[in-house]
Amino acid sequence: MSTAALSVKDLSVWIETTAGRRRVVDNISFSIKAGEATGLVGESGCGKTMTAFAILGMLPAAGATIETTSIEINGRDISRLSTAQMRSVLGRDVAMVFQQPGTALDPVFTIGQQIIEVHRRHAGGGKNNNRQAMLDSLTQVGFDQPGKIAAAYPHELSGGMRQLAMIAMATVCNPAVLIADEPTTALDSRTRALILQQIKRLQADNGTAILLVSHDLSVIRQSCQNVMVMYCGRLLEKTDCQSLFAHARHPYSAGLISCIPQISAKMGSGIKAIPGQVPAPSALPPGCHFAPRCGRAVPQCESSVPALEPGTEQGVACFRPL
Amino acid sequence: MMDKSSQGSIPPLLEVQRLSLSFRNQENAIDDVSFKLTAGRTLGLVGASGAGKSSIARAILRLLEPDAGNILFDGNNVLEMDRDQLKETRRRIQIVFQEPSASLSPRRTVAQTLLEPLRHFAIGDRQSRQDTIRRTLHTVGLDPDVLQRYPHQFSSGQQQRIAIARALVTRPDLVIADEAVSALDVSIQAQILKLIQSLQKEHGITFLFISHDLAVIRQIADEVAVMYRGQLLEYSSADSFFSGPAHPYSKALLSFAGFNTPPPLPVIQAPARHASACIYAARCSEKMPVCERFRSENYKIKNKEGPLCVKCHLYDEKNADET
Repeated sequence: MSTAALSVKDLSVWIETTAGRRRVVDNISFSIKAGEATGLVGESGCGKTMTAFAILGMLPAAGATIETTSIEINGRDISRLSTAQMRSVLGRDVAMVFQQPGTALDPVFTIGQQIIEVHRRHAGGGKNNNRQAMLDSLTQVGFDQPGKIAAAYPHELSGGMRQLAMIAMATVCNPAVLIADEPTTALDSRTRALILQQIKRLQADNGTAILLVSHDLSVIRQSCQNVMVMYCGRLLEKTDCQSLFAHARHPYSAGLISCIPQISAKMGSGIKAIPGQVPAPSALPPGCHFAPRCGRAVPQCESSVPALEPGTEQGVACFRPL
Repeated sequence: MMDKSSQGSIPPLLEVQRLSLSFRNQENAIDDVSFKLTAGRTLGLVGASGAGKSSIARAILRLLEPDAGNILFDGNNVLEMDRDQLKETRRRIQIVFQEPSASLSPRRTVAQTLLEPLRHFAIGDRQSRQDTIRRTLHTVGLDPDVLQRYPHQFSSGQQQRIAIARALVTRPDLVIADEAVSALDVSIQAQILKLIQSLQKEHGITFLFISHDLAVIRQIADEVAVMYRGQLLEYSSADSFFSGPAHPYSKALLSFAGFNTPPPLPVIQAPARHASACIYAARCSEKMPVCERFRSENYKIKNKEGPLCVKCHLYDEKNADET
């Protein structure tokens, strides 16, 4: 396991609801090697963001409980660190890019001040050193005038530029692991291409291991080697991107692929929607959670839970895979 | 801007003529834009954020006052209408916004939300309004038992269905969908696109469908209009557009869409430009000297699927001779 930059073992997350304690992430394990990106895909409410937050230790403050064997970054278990210890890990060993850069950036500080703060906290060094690191980081994500961006406040930038600034901030200390939660959602296609280009650059140039969370498989296909399909807190399929698109084995994975509108498909021919919607954590069906929406379900699917083979890199949790 | 012989003499439902609009101290949000929309068809208006797509939608409803140009709806100029005519026009043109959670009032039940337009436009009586609401809910795929619930009790996909129901309840001729599926999950997006397709087919509603996503436009639109910084750069049938767009900007847009790996991209900031230059010159990969000096005319060309109309010097025969 020492080769994995990020290794998560037996992670479960519980939240308190008015109806009682509910499991929103259900015993998942995975690992990501340095320089590789893994996509975590599923519809809204499937537990993707919960998984990301749990890895970063952000959940206890929000009233959730985490159970896990270990969460290792380069072999070091961070799942049992104190808040103070965690503070020196976040931003240095593992960093996060959020879905809404507008709310994740502080409106009263300039972009430059916010990036410098991260670098000063973790790398220290003199004033000039910090400033230079900040400018380098902005240059690397593609800004041709980093000084101008550094002097700007978040509201002075467009959504796409804010997200690039956010990536510069997350990567200024060159973390081993980057978690990106829907980094391209609500951005137009050119800006999306710019962001995904950065994701690829970080893998290739810095050897960063990336967990990319998205509901959109086309985003994952453009930037990740591997993919995990999540539904109602469980991983239904783990495989590499190529295999998934060539031959998705779980009916849910196939459904997500068919949802993507295709440029090549003629008008009106291409769209196939998955019927129904994600059940609330308080109303999960027994057996396979996807069974009520699945066209291939048999009685067995409603009574017992298909499992991913533990410890394998690839697999599908389905009694009747495609 | 475009002649379609197949459409013959049917007058367009909506015709936008040389529309311009500017906000204070800024370059034109809409800059000399013209297009036509025939009843029962769907025009996909595509472009990056800030291209002026939503400004056009708002100008058509006269939520923004244009500086110049005409907007003819069913033959009448929206910009010259008096209050009563404008009210009737606004009944016939409805709009669906991007963020359903922001465009539905959190304090109104579904029944109240759907009843409001019927009251405002004095459509029907008490009983018939209830029937209309139930019928409309059925059209968008919701059960009548949702009527007494509030927006926060629905998922985003259901909320967007309610927003669509609110637009349909006045029986409009034209529905403007302004990024109506952009904020939704791909799986929900697919469900809403299917719904819009069935509305096109079964109710013959005309759509102005605004989106930055060409793959979505491909599923929905009969015609495509490409905008960049306020100008319409290309305008054609969807089949001709997707078989081979003519404008360098359209080609770039298409290369970012779908599964294609994006090409390396140039600088991020929008560069300054000479006032009379082509709006896209600074970023264009096929720029010629003339592009820095003059804005292009609209040229009509043909590809294997049909005619395209494109605003680009590349298609001026004079330039073709020079190069």
